[in-house]
Amino acid sequence: MKGRILVMGGHEFDRLDGNEAICDHIIELTGGRKPEVCLLPTASGDPSDQISRFRRSFGSRGCEVSDVSLFRLGANPIDVSAHLMRQDVIYVGGGSLVNLVAVWKPHGIAGLITDCLEQGVMVVGQSAGAMCWFEAGITSSSGRPEPALGLGMLEGSLCVHYHRDPGRREKYLSEVGRNIAPGYGADDQTGLLFEDGEMVEAFSAREGAGVWRVSAEGGRAVEKPVEVVDIRPGPGSASPGSPVDDFRALNKWRKSAGTRG
Amino acid sequence: METKRQIVAFGGGGFSMESGNPLLDDFVVATTGLKKPRVCFLPTASGDADHYLVRFYNAFRERGEASHISLFRRERGAASIRDHLLSQDLIYVGGGSVISMLGVWRAHGLDLILREAWERGIVLCGLSAGSLCWFEECVTTYQKETSVTIGLGFLPWSNQVHFELGSPAHRAFEQKLGEGLRPGYTATDGAAFHFIDTELAQVVASRPEARAYRIELKGDRPKTTQLATRYLGSPDHVPLVEDSPIPWSSTPIQA
Repeated sequence: MKGRILVMGGHEFDRLDGNEAICDHIIELTGGRKPEVCLLPTASGDPSDQISRFRRSFGSRGCEVSDVSLFRLGANPIDVSAHLMRQDVIYVGGGSLVNLVAVWKPHGIAGLITDCLEQGVMVVGQSAGAMCWFEAGITSSSGRPEPALGLGMLEGSLCVHYHRDPGRREKYLSEVGRNIAPGYGADDQTGLLFEDGEMVEAFSAREGAGVWRVSAEGGRAVEKPVEVVDIRPGPGSASPGSPVDDFRALNKWRKSAGTRG
Repeated sequence: METKRQIVAFGGGGFSMESGNPLLDDFVVATTGLKKPRVCFLPTASGDADHYLVRFYNAFRERGEASHISLFRRERGAASIRDHLLSQDLIYVGGGSVISMLGVWRAHGLDLILREAWERGIVLCGLSAGSLCWFEECVTTYQKETSVTIGLGFLPWSNQVHFELGSPAHRAFEQKLGEGLRPGYTATDGAAFHFIDTELAQVVASRPEARAYRIELKGDRPKTTQLATRYLGSPDHVPLVEDSPIPWSSTPIQA
């Protein structure tokens, strides 16, 4: 899978410090001053409150904001393909993973987004909007935490809200290596950046929030913490020279040196 | 007694579209044969919009035992969708995106549960997306392009909603017939088809001017036939039209 996908264990469009830092981080990753950011709120049924919170959050940062509401295309007809292709960032909101996959399929959204990724549009997603890129995730779409299939554009699996929803993590650990492929567990306010299908950066925007690599060893799931970059705004930590930049520089070097598998 | 399978499909109308006009909603309640039926609302096509739920409860709280199923918030709803739906007398499907709704329904197994409900004699009804879904083929127009979506197929016909005679959507429907679309039914806002089993039993209307049609191919030409319609607003209403072909000539199909 070509392109950049940023997946997050949980992110809300509110004033919480970590959530604010994540918005800033996303804009920074685009490299643009005023990126065009489009929300796909499909997973929660295109609710207007989520859309207005998104608009406030990214709009107040100078971004050009829009949304594609697949449940309201009749009332607001647009050329979805052309609109998505124009974006710097496509932000996929949370909700029901099962519904997201089910609604996107007849609308052909996964194919459109694949094209966008190839053209350099960055895709960002949280919760269901993060798990959907993987082969599988753990969702409460049917009430209780259960494994569900994603689009399979990224290898492995993802479990979001890792420590906030204890039932989810428990379910994930019992399923990895049995019914679903190994992957990552991500807390709220953390994220993993994938470039061309490879994880290149993990970050945390909240004290104590982390990311775990979950693999299967001898039929049992094993968690190993993933090193995360702290993107919380601290005294004098503004870019350039921030840990994020260092991390990226390191990764670039690793890549060019060919030491990464 | 043999179970009657019933579907009431509105071209448009009911509490969603006809604020202050209770006729179609009263009619669907009457088809259950019960004074206070259990009515479950499925707002899936709207993405389970909150404002839509509020309007449903305002309209049906007094009419029966009202409930809803939200497929976007299952963690808060009934433990078993199937048990809940099969305990209803009437299932009312709201409007919105029929493509999105069918995708979500199939993912949660509602296609099978609704068929079971229908076969058990639970009345199914709805407007717009909630009308299209019961048919084999749903004819919709988006950005001037008409497409056909495969519905649940309880009714072996095609369907178009919010119909307007002579509109581009009407011509497109005819065009689709030439391309192999099955014959179908279409209604303006305010008119509703009442199917018993898979046959049309009657057309009812909440407005005197509302109309319903059957559209089919006769030879290689499309034919639109206006159907006798019973206006629900006057008890002694006599249908004006007796299934006569309307004096309206269609354009031949362009290959």
